[in-house]
Amino acid sequence: MTDSEISLRTEGLSAWFGDHHVVKSISLSVSRNDVYALIGPSGCGKSTFIRCLNRLHEEIDGARVQGDVWISGDSGSENIYAPGSDPVAIRRQVGMVFQKPNPFPGLSIFDNVVAGLRLAGVKRRSVLEEVVETSLKHAALWTEVKDKLKKPGTSLSGGQQQRLCIARALAVRPKILLMDEPTSALDPISTARIEELVMRLRSEVTVLIVTHNMQQAARISNQTAFFLMGELVESGPTSRIFTKPKDTRTEQYITGRFG
Amino acid sequence: MSRRVWSRLFFRNRVENSGDQVFVLSLKIVAWATVSLFAGMLVYLVYLARGAIEALGFNFLTTNDWNPPMEIFGAAPFLVGTLASSFIAIFIAAPVSIGTALFLKEVAPKRVARVVGFLVELLAAIPSVVYGLWGVLVLAPVMRDHVQPFLASWFGPGTYFAQALGHVLTGLFYPFLLIADVLGLTEVTLGTLSEKMMALAQGLFDGPPLGLGLLSAGVVLSIMITPTVTAMSREVLAIVPDSVREGALGLGATRWEMIRIALLRSSRAGLVGAVILGLGRAIGETMAVTMVIGNRNEIPKSLFEPAQTMASVIANEYNEADGLHLSSLAAVGLSLFLVSLLVNLAARGFIRWIERGTRA
Repeated sequence: MTDSEISLRTEGLSAWFGDHHVVKSISLSVSRNDVYALIGPSGCGKSTFIRCLNRLHEEIDGARVQGDVWISGDSGSENIYAPGSDPVAIRRQVGMVFQKPNPFPGLSIFDNVVAGLRLAGVKRRSVLEEVVETSLKHAALWTEVKDKLKKPGTSLSGGQQQRLCIARALAVRPKILLMDEPTSALDPISTARIEELVMRLRSEVTVLIVTHNMQQAARISNQTAFFLMGELVESGPTSRIFTKPKDTRTEQYITGRFG
Repeated sequence: MSRRVWSRLFFRNRVENSGDQVFVLSLKIVAWATVSLFAGMLVYLVYLARGAIEALGFNFLTTNDWNPPMEIFGAAPFLVGTLASSFIAIFIAAPVSIGTALFLKEVAPKRVARVVGFLVELLAAIPSVVYGLWGVLVLAPVMRDHVQPFLASWFGPGTYFAQALGHVLTGLFYPFLLIADVLGLTEVTLGTLSEKMMALAQGLFDGPPLGLGLLSAGVVLSIMITPTVTAMSREVLAIVPDSVREGALGLGATRWEMIRIALLRSSRAGLVGAVILGLGRAIGETMAVTMVIGNRNEIPKSLFEPAQTMASVIANEYNEADGLHLSSLAAVGLSLFLVSLLVNLAARGFIRWIERGTRA
């Protein structure tokens, strides 16, 4: 694998909550246009790991990160934890979708989608309108909301809200999209729609998705990493992880013997 | 009333257990006692004020003269004094309190927030009379020697600020003038309106800096209501889930941008409610205001002038009043009661109106 194909690479990434060491020196590389699934039992550090990739972890009181995360952009790759690196600029390149749908209350569907663009200083109405349409189409929500863009984002159903949040993340054209258990609060139909969506997004963006649903990982990802107690136990192509795991702990987990 | 109706009044659901019956009945009695106390006070105030209401009618509220020896009683100066001092207080306290709440909730480290939050809440524990003393002994001299001369030189008569404010006020009231004109209610023309508004704007920071007066009362009130508004605003901000904050940060918002798009937009209604609650407190506050407002029974033309509020005139004159004077003071009390009620109702309406804008 050459450097240009790598979208994101971590080197010895560790994270703490106070004295609690929750992510232990993880090194992982993600290729461009991968859908990379992170699986593991609750509390294994997979969510914390993903929150380190856009420097959101450090926003929590007492949280700390060590190690490097390289993200390849237009001008070569950049370490987001280098001294002087600006977390705000990084979060504009690395989008995130959260476990619970979190549209901004008080903002319309339209304003929710363009919130990121407005933060970046885009003001032209024609540009915003175009982005709203393409982003909502990408997020497979356009046909359902195109006639009520002025309605509050919070008036939508849970599954629609989550797709709205995906549209909001896509609107700023991120290179990488982090998804932290995006379907765990949704019903099966909404879940299926979002899974389809993720598979289609592959061509445009690199996706890292945390899930505790192993069938989901198997369905939508091409690479999988298994986390346990803050450590990376095993990673590789999804088909191999699920059929011929090298580590016995991986095998025990995917066959349902714990977790 | 038949027994059935009586039992309907007290029991919505049939309660089988006799212990429960006693408990529910005592709760109902306590709740109804509060309501009847409210009604009783209102009735008694009207009863006390009946002399003034019969003698003066609605003119009582619009007459700009209060002269007990001459048996002239008009409450307009107090109405203006109460509203003006309360709005000055809100004008200062609203940004300070909401800013403090944002600092405590969103910016300050937890330990700092706990200490500072405690100190702010402690302000509410200081007795009103102590605020009054502080106002007289500390604030008034500072206002007289430093703040008022400064304000006069920047916003006083002849300044650009006064000029501009005069024009703005004229523009603001012009639509009302037009409506009144169409209805044939007024003889005022645009020229005289503009003259009046100019005089109002020019006079706002005019006159000798006395220290004690409307402005100082407003400042003392603003400090007194800050803990209430801050505490309420903190509660309102605490309702916004962390996931919404993270959503904004994850989108590349700076801390200030996060506050703007994720917090202020969604908690507008609640923050307005917090401010109105403070306004309600300011309208009724008596002791501290009586001590610093200067107690002069005239509509002040300048913020520096002494004035009188509805609460302070009652406190000042109740002891020596009898006859129509006493009845007029009761009418002032009734007006204060109604103004507070009106402000609260208006606030509720306003909050509902904002909420309709933010939710479906």
